Amino acid sequence: MLAFHGKIAISQHPREPFLPPPLPFRYPWTMRRIITLDPDVKFMCTLPFSWTMTEKLRSKLLFEELVLLSDICLSIYEVIFTGLQGTLLLVGDDNIIFSSLMGIGKWGDLKFLNSMETTLSLYYISFPSTARRRSIKRVHRETSGDERGEDALGGAPAKECAEASGGRVYTVVVVEREDDLGVRVVVGKHRHAWIVGKISENDVVSLIGKVFVKYFMNGGKKVGELAKGIGEFVPVGADGSVVLSFSLLNADPSDWVYDWKFKEMSNIMLTPFVKALTPIANISIESQVLYHTPKLSQSYWDEKSSSHIFSIRDLPFFVNSNEWHLDTSIIAAGRSKVLQFVVYAPSASECPLLLQLPNGEISMTNSFISPMWGGVIIWNPPHCAGDSHNTLPPQVRLSPIELQKIFQVFLAQLRMLFGLKSNYIDSSETGISKFLDSESGFTEWELDVLYRHHACFNLHSCVTTLESLAKLVQSLPRMIIMDEIGKQVKFSLEAANLAQRNASLGIYDSSASSSRQAKVLAEDAFFHPSIMSISYSSIEHYFAIYMPFFAPVALHVLLAAIKELKRYKRERAKYLAFISEKAKMD
Amino acid sequence: MAALCRRFTGFHFLLVLVSLSISSLVFGDWIGDDEGEQFTEELLLKPLPDRKVLAHFHFQSTAHPSPDSGHHHHLFPKAIAQLVQKFQIRDLELSFTQGRWNYENWGGSDPISSTNAKPPGVELWATFNVPVVEIDTTWKNLTHALSGLFCSSINFLESSTSYTTPSFVFGLNVSNIRYGALPREAVCTENLTPWLKLLPCRDKAGLATLLDRPSIYKGYYHSQKLRLTSTKLSGIILEQTLTIVLQPNIQRNSAHSLLDGAIQPSWSISSMFKRNLTGSCVLARTSRILVELEKNIVSKLEELGHGGSWSNSLLDLSPNPFRVIKEVNPFPEESNSILFEYVNSKEYEPLDVGIKWKLPFVWSSPHAPFHASRFLMGSGTERGSIAISLQSTKSDEYFRSKSNECRMQAVVFQVVPWYVKVYYHTLQIFIDQKLQNLSDVIEKIRVTPSEDKKLPGTLELVLGYPCTVQSVALTLDFDKGFLHIHEYPPDANQGFDIPSALVTFPNLHSSRIYIGDDSSVHSPLLLKFQEKNVVLSYTEVLLVPFTTPDFSMPYNVITFTCTVLALYFGSLLNVLRRRIGEEERLMRSKDATKRGLIPLIVSKITSKLRGMPRSKPLLIFAVVLSVLFHYIVN
Repeated sequence: MLAFHGKIAISQHPREPFLPPPLPFRYPWTMRRIITLDPDVKFMCTLPFSWTMTEKLRSKLLFEELVLLSDICLSIYEVIFTGLQGTLLLVGDDNIIFSSLMGIGKWGDLKFLNSMETTLSLYYISFPSTARRRSIKRVHRETSGDERGEDALGGAPAKECAEASGGRVYTVVVVEREDDLGVRVVVGKHRHAWIVGKISENDVVSLIGKVFVKYFMNGGKKVGELAKGIGEFVPVGADGSVVLSFSLLNADPSDWVYDWKFKEMSNIMLTPFVKALTPIANISIESQVLYHTPKLSQSYWDEKSSSHIFSIRDLPFFVNSNEWHLDTSIIAAGRSKVLQFVVYAPSASECPLLLQLPNGEISMTNSFISPMWGGVIIWNPPHCAGDSHNTLPPQVRLSPIELQKIFQVFLAQLRMLFGLKSNYIDSSETGISKFLDSESGFTEWELDVLYRHHACFNLHSCVTTLESLAKLVQSLPRMIIMDEIGKQVKFSLEAANLAQRNASLGIYDSSASSSRQAKVLAEDAFFHPSIMSISYSSIEHYFAIYMPFFAPVALHVLLAAIKELKRYKRERAKYLAFISEKAKMD
Repeated sequence: MAALCRRFTGFHFLLVLVSLSISSLVFGDWIGDDEGEQFTEELLLKPLPDRKVLAHFHFQSTAHPSPDSGHHHHLFPKAIAQLVQKFQIRDLELSFTQGRWNYENWGGSDPISSTNAKPPGVELWATFNVPVVEIDTTWKNLTHALSGLFCSSINFLESSTSYTTPSFVFGLNVSNIRYGALPREAVCTENLTPWLKLLPCRDKAGLATLLDRPSIYKGYYHSQKLRLTSTKLSGIILEQTLTIVLQPNIQRNSAHSLLDGAIQPSWSISSMFKRNLTGSCVLARTSRILVELEKNIVSKLEELGHGGSWSNSLLDLSPNPFRVIKEVNPFPEESNSILFEYVNSKEYEPLDVGIKWKLPFVWSSPHAPFHASRFLMGSGTERGSIAISLQSTKSDEYFRSKSNECRMQAVVFQVVPWYVKVYYHTLQIFIDQKLQNLSDVIEKIRVTPSEDKKLPGTLELVLGYPCTVQSVALTLDFDKGFLHIHEYPPDANQGFDIPSALVTFPNLHSSRIYIGDDSSVHSPLLLKFQEKNVVLSYTEVLLVPFTTPDFSMPYNVITFTCTVLALYFGSLLNVLRRRIGEEERLMRSKDATKRGLIPLIVSKITSKLRGMPRSKPLLIFAVVLSVLFHYIVN
């Protein structure tokens, strides 16, 4: 402080001769330097603080677990397929085939197992106990009729085997006996099949392999087809619900007007279907009748079949999105999926209308599907000659028999849209003689395939959604992320883990439903409204606001600092010189 | 019955067996009947005094109450049923209007003007069946659903600043009603197409084929309305009306070329809509066209001695109507309006209903007792006042018959956005230009003051005054508020719209009674006319100019203050840092040897300039100055 005063005094009266001589040289570290460097230091100190002030609220997003899950999910197929458990029941009058099969001990190196990418790790070879022998004898007696055999098998032995193994077990029963029909292979509507006839053990092994791999595992599709098509053709909305919207289109109501009693038939035919698919999706059903809805493309008249032919080439131009106001449903707001099912009643001028397959044949069902959109059935009125003289067009309600036919096609279309074959007629070359149908439209083993497929797809999409969310969050460090999103991600991961655990235990339906939950939560997190409104305060924005102040201030501060440093160097040099001189003088 | 219905082979047969056919039309086994779904279409045509024609389309779809509502439908639009189901709507009215209803020329007390004259833009009100706490969220979701359904920006009614809860204006003393209006919404075909999609035949068949877009949008007034009523007893009733006022092309008539200017223009459906009407929508239970002649025309006809005839010396109605329906008036000495009915059926010849005028003729439409208008007073962008005036139309027969004790009631409903800050205590009421004591005139008042950025101001007022009064005027002062920069609409300099005020006359009804023709009961349009509708009129939309800021101002302010602060900081830092004495000493010591940079440049320039002619340095100086000036200005 003293030095400060002294210097001021000197500067104010530099020419006064009677002033005391200037103070001796001192080390040049004074108040002014402190003043100059003060803002610099303060600025530096407050910088981290102000940075945290402008930083956004970010919830912890469990990135580590996400990475973990995605690793696990890569092996999801294996997890799901190793869960398959099989049981083989061998029934024979003489136990030769048992002993021979057992004697061979071939089960370990069954050929079909090696050809698969995944492994069937567990096989229970159950020998019928004496208590069970009786029921199996009964089976033996009754297998002459497939249906009755199905009942018997669905009843006692399969159930017992399932109880014995504690899970859901696929059963193949081999019944050895002489039969006029030769070897019969029947795939039942529960989780079992049976082989009746006298066949060699090698054939038995290959047949069992086919039944297991082709049908019980892959739902009649080729191996790998399901895995390849993952993510495609799963018509379930991101919120896990599907609206099935059925429309009856009257192309021209001035010719005829058709109406239907949809609800009654739907209760009979669609309700079991919806019930069976509950673990996969929330399904709601709507129906409407629309009028004045011509198709988009023209058909041509074919003399030979005396009908209008619409070739399959033109199918993309059948659906007339201008005139068919099928409408998305208000119930299906948001991210759910609407599947449209259309019954098209052509006008008198294009009746009867038939679909022609590429090979020139006429389509048997007269219908087609469009993946992820829905299906169309062309329904030709029984009497095509429209009475144009009639002032009032006939108004007819579809008879229950016709409606039932239409619904059967609907069910087949639904099966195809959900990724199954519409029927197995063309699979006769594999040696399977018969497939039994179930009331709901799906057999149990088909449902298992569907559940597995959907669980796989859901987990896959859940992981990809969460991964892209993580990428997004990491790429935008200034984005606000609410705690709620963090919670949703956490729950989604929990549900995904649960789905995996259930799948490995073989409880496929609950696995499908919890994987659906995982997907829904992941989608909810991704489409959270707060993410939509990303704060637009970019770096440029901050720059534009703070620049007008900090640029001139920094200029002053820096110039002052440079000047002071220069002076400091100069004065220090002088001081050092003075010291050394003083030392010399001393 | 279905067999009966199908047995009719022609319209002629229908004419012969009128009564039978009507009963079969009514009770026939029609599509959707089992499920209780019906559709009817009607068109009302009416000549207007100012050489225009009113066309009023009325489509009605009904769905009986059923548990499948919203899921399975045959005729009724699924989207609407789902809307009712999802938002638990009890009543809903949505109107899209372009142009303003001319109450003086087109009538103010008839059923059409009291139900279908709507304010410009979009108006929506709805009542819900949900608990009071959920109403606001339901309303918000509903606005979004409707804006998706009708391709318009109804979702702007979502914000709490744009809708209000009227308490007694709509005659329903309920708290579950919400009302909102968007006066600036433009209405065009993109709103009409989704509206038509709700009809089973769309515009492919039936009366809706007449809706040729260029012709209907060329009109003077265009209002498309959707009215939904849903009750547990009667199910859902969906009324879709389209009211258009068109100017028919003047058809030159050589015989009366001299009178062409005075004669009313003759018109027909095909000349007005540029389309022919061939056949009805086959799904419609009834499809009919009605031509209405107002009572003033009828009284003139009666004077001329052809009461109720459709072909006379004054006008010619073609083709011959199917039936004549007469109104019954409570005043027996007066004449009544007449409706001519045509049944639109599937025929090969287009049904081209039209009127040919033969003589010049002037008449006037029935007016409401008071004509309501609203205007702004004051100038400048700071404050002003709103005035609503009710002028007696004098011509009304209500008062001639009544004595002096008769008292008139008028309900004024006005919603003002929050940025127009109305001072409700400045309310002044003048009756016949004389200031009145408020308590003498106001019978009931309810004011909801506006809340900044939260609530619009609402004024509901019941006025009572003698019927003989000539004029009533209300004034209210207001201040114009300041908006946040984000709250200005894109074209802020245009001004802000205040939605139309609504003036209703609760003791006047525009109901009509028709002579006991049982078949008319089955016409939803005539049933609508027979309802007791309160006479009402909407005022003009007000355009309030506001001060608009310079939208780049915030950044300017930031830059400017920052520069000032930086200057202050810099000079303070310099003052604190510099050592004057030392610097002076340094300067002195360096003076002999070294000169500063700027003096050096200046001296160099001056030395160079000395060698030039005298005009050049001045020129260069001027250029440098101008560049500096330019730089500073920018």
